Amino acid sequence: MRLPNRSAAIAGMVLTLGSAAAIFLGSHGLRDFDPALTGYAIGALMAAFAVGYRFLIWAQRPPARMYFKRGLELVFRPAGAAALAEKAPRQSMPLPHGAGTLGYALARNFVAQEFIRRRGGLRWIMHLCLSGGCTLAFAITFPLVFGWIHFESFADNAEMYRVAAFGVNVDSFSVHSFKAFVMFNLLNISALLVLVGLVLAAFRRLTDPGERATQSFAEDIVPLLLILAVTATGLALTVSYKFLAGRDHAIWAIVHMVSVVSLLLYIPFGKLFHMFQRTCSLCVSRYKRVGATGLRAHCRRCGEDYTSAMHVADLKTVLDELGFDYRFSGPQGEVHYQDICPACRRGLLALNQGRTIGR
Amino acid sequence: MNTAFQGNEFFLDPSRCIGCKACVQACAECGTHRGQSMIHLEYVHRATGVQTAPVVCMHCEDPTCARVCPADAIKQDDHGIVHSAAKPRCVACSNCVIACPFGVPKMKVELDLMMKCDMCYDRTSVGKKPMCATVCPSGALYYGPRETIGNLRRETPVNEFQFGRQTVRTKVNIMTAPDVKALPFEVLDFLPWEGKDFDPFELSRPGAPDAASAAVWDDAGLGPRCSGNCTCH
Amino acid sequence: MAKLTLSEEQYIELYGPTPNRSPTYDFHDGEPDKLVKTHCCFCGVQCGIQLKVKYNKVIGFEPWDEFPVNQGKLCPKGVLRYMQNDHPDRLLSPLIRTEDGFRAAGWYESLNKTADSLKAIQDKHGKDAVAFLGGASMTNEKAYLNGKFARIALQTANIDYNGRLCMVSAGAANRMAFGVDRAANPWSDILLAKTIILTGTNLAECFPILTDYVWRARDNGAKIIVIDPRITPIGRTADLFLPVRPGRDSALANGILHVMIERGWTDEKFIAEHTHDFDKVRELVKKYTPEVTEKLSGVPAKNIIKAAEMWGPAETSMLLHARGIEHHTKGVENVLTYINLVLATGRIGKPGCGYGTITGQGNGQGGREHGQRCNQLPGGRDINKPEHRQFIADFWKIPEPELPKQGLTACEIIDAIERGEIKGLLSISINPLVSIPDSNRTRAALEKLEFFACIDFFLSETARYADVVLAGSLQEEDEGTVTTGEGRCVRLRNSVPPPVDARVDWWIIRELAKRLGKEKWFNYSKAEEIFDELAAASKGGPIDYSGMTYEKIENNMGIFWPCPAPEHPGTPRLFEGGKFHHPDGKAKFHAYEYRPPAEDVDVEYPIFFTTGRVVSQYLSGTQTRRIGALVDQYPEPLCEIHPLLATKLGIENRDMVKVSTRRGEITLPALVVQTIRPDTIFIPYHWAGKKAANQVTNRVLDPISKIPEFKVCACRLEKVAAPPAKANAAWPPVSLENK
Repeated sequence: MRLPNRSAAIAGMVLTLGSAAAIFLGSHGLRDFDPALTGYAIGALMAAFAVGYRFLIWAQRPPARMYFKRGLELVFRPAGAAALAEKAPRQSMPLPHGAGTLGYALARNFVAQEFIRRRGGLRWIMHLCLSGGCTLAFAITFPLVFGWIHFESFADNAEMYRVAAFGVNVDSFSVHSFKAFVMFNLLNISALLVLVGLVLAAFRRLTDPGERATQSFAEDIVPLLLILAVTATGLALTVSYKFLAGRDHAIWAIVHMVSVVSLLLYIPFGKLFHMFQRTCSLCVSRYKRVGATGLRAHCRRCGEDYTSAMHVADLKTVLDELGFDYRFSGPQGEVHYQDICPACRRGLLALNQGRTIGR
Repeated sequence: MNTAFQGNEFFLDPSRCIGCKACVQACAECGTHRGQSMIHLEYVHRATGVQTAPVVCMHCEDPTCARVCPADAIKQDDHGIVHSAAKPRCVACSNCVIACPFGVPKMKVELDLMMKCDMCYDRTSVGKKPMCATVCPSGALYYGPRETIGNLRRETPVNEFQFGRQTVRTKVNIMTAPDVKALPFEVLDFLPWEGKDFDPFELSRPGAPDAASAAVWDDAGLGPRCSGNCTCH
Repeated sequence: MAKLTLSEEQYIELYGPTPNRSPTYDFHDGEPDKLVKTHCCFCGVQCGIQLKVKYNKVIGFEPWDEFPVNQGKLCPKGVLRYMQNDHPDRLLSPLIRTEDGFRAAGWYESLNKTADSLKAIQDKHGKDAVAFLGGASMTNEKAYLNGKFARIALQTANIDYNGRLCMVSAGAANRMAFGVDRAANPWSDILLAKTIILTGTNLAECFPILTDYVWRARDNGAKIIVIDPRITPIGRTADLFLPVRPGRDSALANGILHVMIERGWTDEKFIAEHTHDFDKVRELVKKYTPEVTEKLSGVPAKNIIKAAEMWGPAETSMLLHARGIEHHTKGVENVLTYINLVLATGRIGKPGCGYGTITGQGNGQGGREHGQRCNQLPGGRDINKPEHRQFIADFWKIPEPELPKQGLTACEIIDAIERGEIKGLLSISINPLVSIPDSNRTRAALEKLEFFACIDFFLSETARYADVVLAGSLQEEDEGTVTTGEGRCVRLRNSVPPPVDARVDWWIIRELAKRLGKEKWFNYSKAEEIFDELAAASKGGPIDYSGMTYEKIENNMGIFWPCPAPEHPGTPRLFEGGKFHHPDGKAKFHAYEYRPPAEDVDVEYPIFFTTGRVVSQYLSGTQTRRIGALVDQYPEPLCEIHPLLATKLGIENRDMVKVSTRRGEITLPALVVQTIRPDTIFIPYHWAGKKAANQVTNRVLDPISKIPEFKVCACRLEKVAAPPAKANAAWPPVSLENK
């Protein structure tokens, strides 16, 4: 094990410093920064470091690195894609358009989460509620915490509120308006969405025999509990402030802050990190699209087309980097096991076993 | 969790397989599989014989599939079981499918998800036998204590394979001759080579005799003896 | 005149076969309400299985490890058997034929119509103008009830069953050789055998569970000899594989015995003390030298000798055979010549020594024991023996002369319908259009029936011709017992009630009897009463169940007959101490000269044609062609052709080929494989209509057993101009180039 990974540490530092700078600049040199939210801001900065560090650690691993490398090459140098796909008959890749664009892939995989719908309708709703609710909540709270958005009552009229973004006034409204209701309750709305998602998730985790068998507390239950804690304590704040005349508000505020910071710090280390890892899927879908039209790999044994030649070549590199060596050599010649299709590998298992016992 | 496995192990003997697909059908009944069958069973080469290759996940000690996964989606648990890709992480790249030395992972294109044999984790983790090994009518798939199979069979289990230069150790055992310590995975003998005429019908190997070579029959009696009332010649 | 009123497609759309692909409830629909310990409905192993029941539907299965025969093991049919329950094609009420198809009807109308129509035919044309066809997939109770119903309520001599297409050659041979019709040994004796002959049995596909017994015997040091024109999965790794030419089995068995006698591998003491007529056999086989036998059987002489060397001096041995030697015009002779191999060594009636028959049908054994056959009365009694007739007449409290005499067998009934002699038919659980040879003639016969009523749970291809279809019960919808291929009577449990307006079969029979004026003989209120009656009726007969009760069967996980008294434990192994069931206690050798099949190859039809099964289908496919995953496994019949023959005829794998015989033709894809004799082609038989192998088979019967010659006839083969068929799971592309 090497010492703390330098480039990962740098990435973490860069992300942290970048965030800090964004806070400083976005809040008008901390003028719009709400000191009461300092804890959150520090938590966010720590999480930024961890996410950056963890992301780089992951992205440096040979398989992920290969996909990022190829993905970047294919996205930014589409003309070079053909060369990557081992001199495919098609000379140059057309520029991505329509279903080929990054935007489409983002909309389909990140917003609509199409692939989850295909895995199950209820699952899809559950995931949309959780991811949608959380995204909405973060979209509100991060700008608030970082002081990018700032609410302020008019000095002359406490009934009117002014919204400042990056120190610039962008809107004003009356506290009695519908807009105000929505503005002040957006977090509660996102909390309700998340709660629906949590209930659905809990139902699945409790009843689905497959999930029950394979789930683990740390990996599958902890993130749900953390999200639940954030949601529940957030709602408790609202209850305390709206209905109980602020009773215990200070305590709830601290508990809420602790739960939010815990969640933020958990993100890089657990299941929730998949929100960053899924960026790889963008590279993969592009990779597969190019591979499908490029040169194909045909099984050395049966002649069947089983994947792209680029995929086989890249996997050989990745396997070498990982320290695997599936090469065969004999008087007949040399073969890399990657040149044989999975179906033939299964057949070869039976043939080799049968041969050792004469059947 | 304490009831998991209870000293039972999985033993694979493809030479006993009769290709009936009871395992394939039963696999889909397992709770973790949701109607999807994870086991593989195919003819090795139907033209020359009825030999079939049943393949479950061998659950490698150092799983190649997990190591080549770009998304950290394939996890091995404390029991050594290598699970299907974690749904939030799997990016459906098929690295595992192409890299697995045994050809085990299945890419479920419609789900954008890799699924694979997990030794019926929902059953084995509570002390039951995996579906395939429970129903297998030939004993090609067997799940039980090592002593029991030692008493039952002439073949002995090994869990080490030599793929060219690569040694792979697995949780699942394969039955082989008593003097074999690691199953040699020969590939070169079973491939077509340039300059060598590769007639699939002449692919000779143990256990796949040609009915013609075992029989006495009248070559002249085949086909062309027809009276001409048909179009067969 | 029962012509079809709808097109094939319309029948399929309305009544199936629809391949059921998803279980009633989702795979993770929580815990079942109950698990019912019962048995699989497919094949004579009768594997123990637990059915998962929820909301009165069978929603899945769980292996039943404790049942000793299969210990949780199942074949793909067993795994998916649950999918036949709550099936979209299930008949939910009686159907009455109309101008355009069928209409749903009530029981009152349907039963009255059936009884009245059958009565009207009998009044006009005599009692025997109505025939009854039963099945061997039904319980012992129903087999008994069918026989009793035909003889008392219909008073017809013409009752037979589809076991006539299956078990009868073995049954007749067993009775002739040993005086009783049952496998001599429990399957567990296979484990103790040192040499096993599997002849004419595609064991791994038709009786998959026994594969484990055979392999375990091999683990114990047994040598396996497989005799078959095809290299089947059980034959692939056999110690000796004898690819016999179709229709030459008795020659081969005589040839093996020749070598055994020459080398002195006969047990002369046993032969002298316990058998008759060995001298005739010894004389007969003299001329079956290995060379002569090679010429006849197509098996190399050296391998005939090798077989004798393996079998002759073995310490223990088991002979297992099935339809491959039985489906012949000399089916009984084939079985008897193989039984000679067993008797000559004296290896019978001892642990690990004996023989067994692979019973293809669910109740292949029990279905043939309780009087469902034209020549048999309950308890395995002979309808032609005065004392047997008297016993049953007294038991049923009818005058002996009123008990019908021997009637026609299954194929003969179809022939008689075709000739116009039988005009009315009541059938249950039989699909002759698919299962009887020469299906064009079967179709013509069905079209001639004046009235045809059919009890079934799905509308089979045959049932489309019915005037009335009575919605009966699936195996899991009734109580009962079946007797497995080893003679073990096991208990089936009612898991769910028949759906909607379907009824249990015995209720339907009872109601029909009531309308035929014979109510007092059929006053049953539950299946157990029928069992108790059949057990009592079998007392003192060749097949004695009189010591069995439901409770005793359950407690022991099955009882082997004979079980003549309540305290009797049953008889897993027959003939212990060399005591056979002929009156003098001795077994009989039978000397049969080889004779050629009814239709041998000639210049015009130069290729042998043979049929058989695949592992994913059961009988005529009425159930299994309705289960999607089983259909996927082998979706349509393929014609197996050796590459040598294919090359000569210019046929390539996947080409469409036409197989024609003197009776009909079938066009289907070619599967070019080295696993079949070059002079023989093979087509599995489970499909209907244009895909039915029985369009080309030969309806010529064995003179003793009246089994038709499914396993050999002469055909010609040609390539037809049609695009090559698509590959599927049964049939992966086989050339390495285009795999």
